[in-house]
Amino acid sequence: MPKWAMIIDLDKCTGCGDCMAACKLENNIAIVSPEEANNGRVMFWMDMITMYEGEYPNIQIKRMPKPCFHCDNPPCIKVCPVYATYINDEGLVGQVYHRCIGCRYCMVACPYTAKVFNWYEPEWPEEFKVCFNPDVSVRMKGVVEKCSFCAHRLITVKETADSEEREIRDEEYLPACSESCPADAIYFGDLDNRESKVYNLSRSSRAFREFEDLGTEPKVIYLLKKE
Amino acid sequence: MEIKRREFLKLLGGVGGAVTLGAYGCEQVIDVPERLIELAKKGPGLETWKNTICGQCPAGCGIRVRLIDGIPVYIKGNPIYPVNQGGMCPSGHSALEVLFNPDRVKEPLKRIGIQGSGKWEQLNWEDALQTIADFLIKQRRNNKSHQIAFLDGSEQHSLMSEHIAQFMKAFGSPNYYQHPSIKNNSIPFLLLQGVQQIPSYDFLNTKYVLSFGSNFLEEGYSPVYYTKLYAHLKDVTEERRTRFVQVDSRMSLTAVNADRWIPIRPGTYGALALGVAFVLIREKIYDEDFISKYTFGFEDWVDNKGHTHLGFKSNVLGNYYPEQVSKITGVPGETILEIARELGNNRPSLVMGEQGSAENTNGTFSQMAVHCLNALLGNFEKEGGLYFTDLPPLANLPPVDEDELAVTGNSQQRIGRDSNGAYPFSDFSMDSFVKNILSDNPYPISVLFLYKGNPLFNTLNHHNFAEALTKIPLVVSFDSFITETSEYADIILPDHTFLEKWDEFSNIPSVGFTHVGIQQPVIEPLHNTRNSAEVLVDLGNLVGGSVPNALPFENYEKEIKFRIENIYRSGEGAMISEGLKGSWLEYLQQRGWQVGRYNSFSEFWELFTRNGGWWNPIKKKRDIKELFNTPSGKFEFYSQLLKDEIDRLVLNLGDDTPQNRELAINSLNISARGDKVFLPHHEAVPFDAGMPLYLTTYKLLTNRNGLSSNQPTMQEMFGYTTRQFWNTWAEINPEIAREYGISNEDYIWIESAIGSIKLKALVNPGIMKDVIAIPFGLGHSSYGRYAKGHGINPYSILKNKYDLINGNPAPQATKVKISLAT
Amino acid sequence: MPKKIQYDYETDAVLYRPIYETGKGFYITVGILLLIILWALFMYITQVWFGLGVTGMNQPITWGFYIVNFVFFIGISHAGTLISAILRLSKAEWRRPITRMAEVITAIVLAIGGLHPILDLGRPDRVLNLFTAGRLQSPLLWDVTSITAYFTASTIYLYLPMIPDIARLRDKGGKLTWLYNFLSWGWQDTEHQKKVLNRAINILMIMVIPIAISVHTVISYIFSMTLQPGWHSTIFGPYFVVGAIFSGIAALLILMIASRKVFHLENYLKKIHFQYLGTLLLIMSLLWFYFTFSEYLTGIFGSEPHEMHIILYKFTGPYAIFFWGMILCNFIIPVILLGFKRFKTITGILFASIAVVIGMWLERLNIVVPSLANPRIELPIGIYFPSIVEWALFMGGIAVFILGYVLFSKFFPIISIWETEEGRKEAITEVEERIQSYLPGDETISK
Ligand SMILES: Nc1nc2c(c(=O)[nH]1)N[C@H]1C(S)=C(S)[C@@H](COP(=O)(O)OP(=O)(O)OC[C@H]3O[C@@H](n4cnc5c(=O)[nH]c(N)nc54)[C@H](O)[C@@H]3O)O[C@H]1N2
Ligand SMILES: Nc1nc2c(c(=O)[nH]1)N[C@H]1C(S)=C(S)[C@@H](COP(=O)(O)OP(=O)(O)OC[C@H]3O[C@@H](n4cnc5c(=O)[nH]c(N)nc54)[C@H](O)[C@@H]3O)O[C@H]1N2
Ligand code: SF4
Ligand code: SF4
Ligand code: SF4
Ligand code: SF4
Ligand code: SF4
Ligand SMILES: [Mo]
Repeated sequence: MPKWAMIIDLDKCTGCGDCMAACKLENNIAIVSPEEANNGRVMFWMDMITMYEGEYPNIQIKRMPKPCFHCDNPPCIKVCPVYATYINDEGLVGQVYHRCIGCRYCMVACPYTAKVFNWYEPEWPEEFKVCFNPDVSVRMKGVVEKCSFCAHRLITVKETADSEEREIRDEEYLPACSESCPADAIYFGDLDNRESKVYNLSRSSRAFREFEDLGTEPKVIYLLKKE
Repeated sequence: MEIKRREFLKLLGGVGGAVTLGAYGCEQVIDVPERLIELAKKGPGLETWKNTICGQCPAGCGIRVRLIDGIPVYIKGNPIYPVNQGGMCPSGHSALEVLFNPDRVKEPLKRIGIQGSGKWEQLNWEDALQTIADFLIKQRRNNKSHQIAFLDGSEQHSLMSEHIAQFMKAFGSPNYYQHPSIKNNSIPFLLLQGVQQIPSYDFLNTKYVLSFGSNFLEEGYSPVYYTKLYAHLKDVTEERRTRFVQVDSRMSLTAVNADRWIPIRPGTYGALALGVAFVLIREKIYDEDFISKYTFGFEDWVDNKGHTHLGFKSNVLGNYYPEQVSKITGVPGETILEIARELGNNRPSLVMGEQGSAENTNGTFSQMAVHCLNALLGNFEKEGGLYFTDLPPLANLPPVDEDELAVTGNSQQRIGRDSNGAYPFSDFSMDSFVKNILSDNPYPISVLFLYKGNPLFNTLNHHNFAEALTKIPLVVSFDSFITETSEYADIILPDHTFLEKWDEFSNIPSVGFTHVGIQQPVIEPLHNTRNSAEVLVDLGNLVGGSVPNALPFENYEKEIKFRIENIYRSGEGAMISEGLKGSWLEYLQQRGWQVGRYNSFSEFWELFTRNGGWWNPIKKKRDIKELFNTPSGKFEFYSQLLKDEIDRLVLNLGDDTPQNRELAINSLNISARGDKVFLPHHEAVPFDAGMPLYLTTYKLLTNRNGLSSNQPTMQEMFGYTTRQFWNTWAEINPEIAREYGISNEDYIWIESAIGSIKLKALVNPGIMKDVIAIPFGLGHSSYGRYAKGHGINPYSILKNKYDLINGNPAPQATKVKISLAT
Repeated sequence: MPKKIQYDYETDAVLYRPIYETGKGFYITVGILLLIILWALFMYITQVWFGLGVTGMNQPITWGFYIVNFVFFIGISHAGTLISAILRLSKAEWRRPITRMAEVITAIVLAIGGLHPILDLGRPDRVLNLFTAGRLQSPLLWDVTSITAYFTASTIYLYLPMIPDIARLRDKGGKLTWLYNFLSWGWQDTEHQKKVLNRAINILMIMVIPIAISVHTVISYIFSMTLQPGWHSTIFGPYFVVGAIFSGIAALLILMIASRKVFHLENYLKKIHFQYLGTLLLIMSLLWFYFTFSEYLTGIFGSEPHEMHIILYKFTGPYAIFFWGMILCNFIIPVILLGFKRFKTITGILFASIAVVIGMWLERLNIVVPSLANPRIELPIGIYFPSIVEWALFMGGIAVFILGYVLFSKFFPIISIWETEEGRKEAITEVEERIQSYLPGDETISK
């Protein structure tokens, strides 16, 4: 069984924000009203963290794209009362929108604030519904959603691999964010495959996971800036 | 198919879930979009991909559009396109929101209410064209063909600009202008090198990059291209790692990622450049060989009349010693020493200073100063230096044979330039353009075409500009949206969006290799719109005269083919292809280049359109002399072109007396005197007194110049780093905040000599102490439901200032005072 | 015009009066309460219609008033059954006039509290998934279980001791005889029936105590099972239980004092009852402080950065008023008012109790919101302003409780009549015997 993981190289990442856009567009993520957005109801599956370090003029501004970390030991799924968020045997942590009762317990339990909630019924003008990604269902009001590692892309990749009777190649399954990062800062692949890029990068001396001490075992691994 | 279905239910955890659920049907358990169920049952809807060029900004990235049953559903980067190699920026990524935008102009419109009233009535194309044609014919008949002006805001290096130029020439008007104008942008290089082209920088082989405010990762001519280069450099091993130093008044995205950020007072970086030059010269860490062989005016010199002239060296040594420069720029003396030494001792090293830092009244002089550093480093035609790319072997449009009407028209004075010689090297200056129109000087403008561009939203004196627009009898806009500007149009002839039309892009400025990209329709036009190029042809045919023969092509696609065929014949370069993937270096260095063989042009064209472009990474080695097309045939520290121009002004005033000279130079508002005028020097920016803070505006990757304000995703992401969504803010330094008792997210009044605006203040340590920075792009009063009424346009308080030499807008030349809003 | 029912001859006439005399006051109160409840209902409907967006919640503060009030109400509900059970168990004679009121509180407030998680759902329409697809690993499900258990147990525990009284009402006839008839299960005061009843009560009273404790422990687990700083604490279980009993007693006291005034029960609810409960409240206050103290001391001492961040946020941040308000209401005020004889009057006790109820609500607020407002990851601190809808539902909840109590007192005696009588008849001798049995001397009581 593959174990899908993402590596974000903070040394290469410029903080351009394209991963955020890619994600929103690939996954039909709702756009909330301006007031809502500024009242903490904006929906990014891929979010951007900004940290200021030091004093002017010797300051460092650090940017850090943040998807769901697809923890191998996810605190979020344990608390869900209805199995509406789960981890599958390939390590993907998913949401079952049609089953979620919207208690938001999983959001509360996620130490990485990775989930977002549909506070209202998501709305689009008819014109935009035309260009929805047909592979990703549109959510309804009152349910929780989050980064899916673009699982729908894996389906297609699997089907092609199956039909060609071969294994999935490294970097054949790429999520939208990783695919179009202009800095090639987002790597994606199978952590259990010793040939894969992510496997090797994950053992780099620069590799770290957020809040490792929590034992959540995130499958999104960051690479520190080179000094 | 059943297996597949289960396969994918399992993938979504469905089967696992289902087991625990027993009774529940799978569809209930996991969320299977109806479409997916179909898909799993009877195979997917037909998925296809189409390559084209992004039209959201001049950076010219190649994109790949995903179509399901012919409908575009996603845009990603074209992985094999050399400019962006699959990379994208947010604005381009969300461009489907432009294509499907509910607020597009869906058919030709005729304004019925007063300007800005938003009252329009539909027209059919034939009537619309006829109305305009009649007007144009009348103009020509009355020998007024020159009273037609064409303003093109595309700033793109596309066939379209030549197409328009061709049309105007044949019609008989000298008044085709690009605004903003690349011609203007390249003036500093013209003055020093005699080459009117934006250089490219050999990042890959340089050890050290000193950037004067060129925000190449965020703004810059091609942000994605530079991000790719930058990221590639990060991958190389420690010792070969390039060091980036960013001089900027605020911590732009580029500064954030640079190894070092050097805060500087806006409008003073020319002085800093000369301060660096001082150290290089004083410590003899410059390329003496190059200086002696290929430059003019470095040492003091004697002209044929026997006068001795001030040389660059003594000027610098005399006036730009670190203490002095530090006073002007606010950069500590030791910092100047450090960067100069690093620059001089880590060859190859290079210096860049594009637009951003040029956006001031002294822009040209400052950029000259910066460029001189490259001369001191001898950075021409060598690894790790800067160079000019070769033009692609595209066929030129057929020569126009102008009928006498056209000839007389074209011989008229250009209205986009100052008649009294202000902005001597401007190809176009909005300032002069507006003034001239308002004063009918030397003649009135009776028809104005607006293609792309929303100048009313992002030019300085928009009140006068609006007035000028109201004065013009017929204003025609080709815009796909009703913008602030097209509100003033009498007729809107909606263009296709870039996803519905043909065009051809070549050699994006500062991109390091020759390339041509093809923009092609990914979908049939959604609305009753037409490609402006073809509309021009139709107009031409109605107008007659020398116009029809000037654009003798069946349609625009044919015109492009005609140009491309020449590339095929030339046999140069190659089709972009999969070979591209992988490391940048590898394929830039792969010599022994294999030219693809095609048995016919149709084959070539087929591949060209399928892959999305052609390129030629190998540049012809230029003899260093070719680089310097100046009177002296050398790199001119002392610009004789500038001198000649000013001499001409003097002669216009009478004979060459000190008084006239004084008058001439004064009329240009240049404060320097004598030889210094023609040498790179620091021209103090005439800021308003009593205003403590410098105002600088900048552009975010999520918006561009207000362009992306009609894309909801971009509006939401506008402040993705500051978490200000759909909203404009002002960044201030913590010290200033403390001084004024402002805390984060307080609202403040920002007041300039022009007016004042109220904004949310964000306290940000990444900004120079006495600078306040406002992102540009929001504050639309038109441009559709997503743009209108969100945020604030800093333009409303920017002073009407321009670069003294090339007449470019100087959006960084305003100082302000702030106060806590209660 | 049915003939007036006679009850004045009864020794406990006062206890019958509210049932047979209906003043204007009654209708006005009920009217007002119904209005509030309708308003709340309307607000809830808008919430279901438009979505949780109508509340003040957001990211990261994804839980607000509903969860706060959930914990708060369930806490209050501990007054009754638990206390009355403990008093019964300890054969505290003074319990007789108190137990029923206590049990009523439990029954009603538990129902209200138990519904709050549903108010909080984004998809109330799918609430049944909890049963069709429940995941036992989720503390939320533990709650569902223990709350239902507690609710069943305590309603029965309220009902059983009422049977003899209901029988009395039945025998008096009147409009509702059919109801009393049905509810009294043909009670005839026979010795056998008494024996069975007492045995049943005793069994329940033993059962109900662990259930009650489990309920609030499990509620605390909702928080402590997550990794959130400020929540992930081992003492949360007992801490919550103590808090619950604490607020419960306070609520009970307020209710007693109110009823005493309204129904003229001065001869039943005597100063002594308040003195005793007051002392109990004081003890709980000290106990509560002890837990709070240890909770924060361990946090501060270990000063794990995230933990510390939140503690400081509570001490000095925007939540400081609420935090220090809580300390004032839960500790300082009660200790002063109940600690000194001088203040320990019925009014003093009333004020102390009100303070405690408010303080305990603040405590729930201080637990839920600050931890959510300060995400571990470097995201901006969240702010939360409850919307009008959330306020409405809070008011509504309180209104439902009062209405419930008013109606109960309309149809049933709020002080157990038969137990009072029993007290008069047997208590003295029984207690005397009991005391005898403590005293030195040979065994008097036969096994
Ligand atoms: N994302 C994005 N990309 C774009 C565009 C866009 O709008 N958005 N526009 C495209 C176009 S049309 C153009 S012309 C180019 C222009 O792109 P650039 O050439 O990069 O110019 P700007 O982006 O205008 O400004 C760059 C930086 O110069 C800084 N600056 C301003 N004044 C001074 C000064 O006096 N001294 C110094 N040292 N720094 C100064 C500003 O703070 C800003 O951060 O970008 C192109 N690419
Ligand atoms: N404060 C500040 N101001 C600046 C700058 C700055 O750095 N700071 N930068 C200046 C610079 S460098 C530039 S380039 C200008 C940019 O200013 P403009 O050239 O005006 O560019 P945009 O604002 O992007 O306007 C693009 C317009 O073209 C329309 N359009 C888009 N695609 C098409 C098409 O295919 N066909 C037609 N017919 N129309 C189309 C869009 O609807 C939009 O209205 O802003 C200038 N203003
Ligand atoms: S797209 Fe790549 S470079 Fe841009 S922010 Fe995301 S990770 Fe960083
Ligand atoms: S990051 Fe949060 S949401 Fe994602 S798996 Fe981990 S705990 Fe769950
Ligand atoms: S919100 Fe949905 S997914 Fe999250 S815990 Fe509740 S039911 Fe499960
Ligand atoms: S993996 Fe897919 S879902 Fe997750 S952040 Fe990237 S694009 Fe979004
Ligand atoms: S930089 Fe962005 S907007 Fe400009 S061309 Fe490239 S993708 Fe399009
Ligand atoms: Mo530009």
